Amino acid sequence: MHNSQTTAGIGVERTDFVGIPTRDRERTVKFYGETLGIVPNRRTHENFPEFETGNVTLAVFHPEEMGMEFKPNANPIALRVRDVEQARKKLEAAGVEFHGETYDSGVCHMAFFSDPDGNALMLHRRYAPYSDGSTP
Amino acid sequence: MNVEQVDFVSVPTRDAARAVAWYLDVLGLPVSDYTEAEVETPNVTLSFWVPEEDNIPFAPNESGIALRVADVHEAVEEVKAAGAEVVGIEDTGVCHMGFVKDPDGNVLILHKRYAPRVPR
Repeated sequence: MHNSQTTAGIGVERTDFVGIPTRDRERTVKFYGETLGIVPNRRTHENFPEFETGNVTLAVFHPEEMGMEFKPNANPIALRVRDVEQARKKLEAAGVEFHGETYDSGVCHMAFFSDPDGNALMLHRRYAPYSDGSTP
Repeated sequence: MNVEQVDFVSVPTRDAARAVAWYLDVLGLPVSDYTEAEVETPNVTLSFWVPEEDNIPFAPNESGIALRVADVHEAVEEVKAAGAEVVGIEDTGVCHMGFVKDPDGNVLILHKRYAPRVPR
């Protein structure tokens, strides 16, 4: 986290979770917990599984069970891994299809894929230091 | 593979400057020191992108990004006063959730859990 400007606004303390819509909870739990290896939160309600990435929670919900339309999230959540190519190979071996080649932005590597419901995800690693010399 | 953390959550917009200004002015989230189109929450970066610049149709994120505030009702009133669309406030039995939309229609959940976590 790097910032200097602050205003009062509404006083956001942190991001508690990011919603992950699904049409098949069991499949989603398997994907995030086993394929991606993200730690499940054991204390959640069974209809609302959560996964702890280290800094922010991914909260799975089933919109159609709640009377809402299912719409996959097309906006990637960037998952930091040590080595994007290595992680990509592991996921590909597990049957995950990536969208295109791994992208080198000049400061980071990005590899785009989706979860089984079509929610966008990205393997991400910034390899270049920030302008002040600090690193992620 | 080991996911170390979420580096950023992508937020779609049709006008990145408008989005950054709204998240700063209304939510109070500081602009990244390093990147023009990013704002920082204390634990994760929100990164704006313009899908239409990549020839991808724009669709708001309706899955929700939950931002913790001290008082959901107060926070909802504040963003409403700033002109934001308020979808509604729910009490789930363990938390309050205030559903509001940013200027692009992305759903934000002003969130406060008031009940302690209990092991299943």
